[in-house]
Amino acid sequence: MSLRDGVAIAGIGCTPYSKDSGVSTLTLATRAIMAALDDAGLSPDALDGLATHRVGDSVLPAVVAQALGIRDLRYFSDQFGGGSISHAVIGQAALAVDAGLADYVVCYRALNARSEFRMGGTGRPLVDAVETQYQAPYGYFVPPQQFAMAARAHMDRYGTTEAQLGRVAIEQRANASKNERAMMRTPIDLEAYFASRPVVEPFRLFDCCLETDGAVAILLTTAERAKDLAKPPVSIRGAAWGGGQTLYSSQKADTTTTAVTDMAPRLFEMAGVGPADIDLAQIYDCFTYSVIVQLEDYGFCAKGEGGPFVESGATRIGGSIPVNTHGGFLSEGYVHGLNHVYECVSQLRGEAGERQVDGAEIGLSTSQPGYISGNTSALILGRCG
Amino acid sequence: MSRPFLPFSPTPDRDSRPWWDALAAGEFRLQRCDACGAYRWPAREICNRCRSFEAAWETLDGAGTVASWIRTHQAFAPPLREAVPYVVAQIRLDVQEDLLLIGGWLADRDPVSGEAVALEIVSGPDGAHLPCWRPTGPPAESGAA
Repeated sequence: MSLRDGVAIAGIGCTPYSKDSGVSTLTLATRAIMAALDDAGLSPDALDGLATHRVGDSVLPAVVAQALGIRDLRYFSDQFGGGSISHAVIGQAALAVDAGLADYVVCYRALNARSEFRMGGTGRPLVDAVETQYQAPYGYFVPPQQFAMAARAHMDRYGTTEAQLGRVAIEQRANASKNERAMMRTPIDLEAYFASRPVVEPFRLFDCCLETDGAVAILLTTAERAKDLAKPPVSIRGAAWGGGQTLYSSQKADTTTTAVTDMAPRLFEMAGVGPADIDLAQIYDCFTYSVIVQLEDYGFCAKGEGGPFVESGATRIGGSIPVNTHGGFLSEGYVHGLNHVYECVSQLRGEAGERQVDGAEIGLSTSQPGYISGNTSALILGRCG
Repeated sequence: MSRPFLPFSPTPDRDSRPWWDALAAGEFRLQRCDACGAYRWPAREICNRCRSFEAAWETLDGAGTVASWIRTHQAFAPPLREAVPYVVAQIRLDVQEDLLLIGGWLADRDPVSGEAVALEIVSGPDGAHLPCWRPTGPPAESGAA
């Protein structure tokens, strides 16, 4: 059983990214969805599926359907979870389209992650998870702490340096400077990186992603139907999700390797490609370190070599594997996984303007590699024809 | 010797209650599988290696090594404002390499990855008793800063 090339992304939409949208997550969701339908030239009357992931911070598909006047939602999926499942939501919607359960499904993520519900935990109750009782008593309960802990282990084991973390932020900011959607567009250098305030050592401010108000919508349909729509279809060549081991499963002794090492081989196998065939990668960058460990675990470089690999310039536009060409969560904005898919599609359509990767035919877009939930997911997308 | 910063009380669940009760009684205990001998942490009914439901609580000394550590500068909740910056360590227990616990750090210097640590149960707010660790020797030459 393979999804390969049966389902395509036919439309993409987003709202402006800001620190204060001034509107509800319902409004953000409907704006992004209407933009995706408009992009595809598809009537809203044809929409029969909606899927999202959220963490108690956004509007559910049934309410969005009501707002859009969709009487019978043939496919809906409302998943509780963070960035680790962001691409699984799309993969699962693709299964539904492939099976004929629905014809046109939009996956969306809408959040006021700066003005209303901050992921960092500031001002909101502690997360209701099994492990909270073992962590929160020590003042340890937010993602920057959890990723900083793993980053330090990687630095100690492999010699990854703060300057190499900084280079991730610097390269992505350079890309963001060519992206009109990006919230942070002023280039930074190593001096600015080292001068940014410490948040959780070894992370500084520039190691951490933005907190963003905004929404992204991704429209899926069969590759066959997509041919009749306005934009060149982008095929879902591979979709995979998996993993599950965390520090609280007593099955993971090494925090410097992620669930991606188990999942990536079947993702590449479904797509019929290997890391060397990928023209660009949008890599889940909640923190700089997340990029380094995924470059290793997806096989773009050897284990432990992620830092030197970034330092070599390989991840720049024009390098061997351009990464986060929109600036990523660090500089464009944080839409919990889906702005990576948006950028991947833009690049594969050749619509990325000044930051376009020449000859982009196959792209990888990834989710959080599994540090908190244990799970991860990703898509390999391809230009059709 | 510095005290660790312990801002919140744990909320035990039905699986973890015996673990917290043992700590309150001054003992660091882990479940050990009767069938395969694997330690279970956090506490749970079934063994994820052999799927046995049988286990016994074993008292351990909690000795381990530093797996990693961080220093938090940003106050992510109001009670943290007076405490930042503070250190939190991740400890690998000697008895089983995949038992990695978050814990308070009981020293005036930074942890060093790989260094040996000893357990101390420290009273937190509201009568909670929390596992914390202190280094057993001077810092190793590498990485001490």
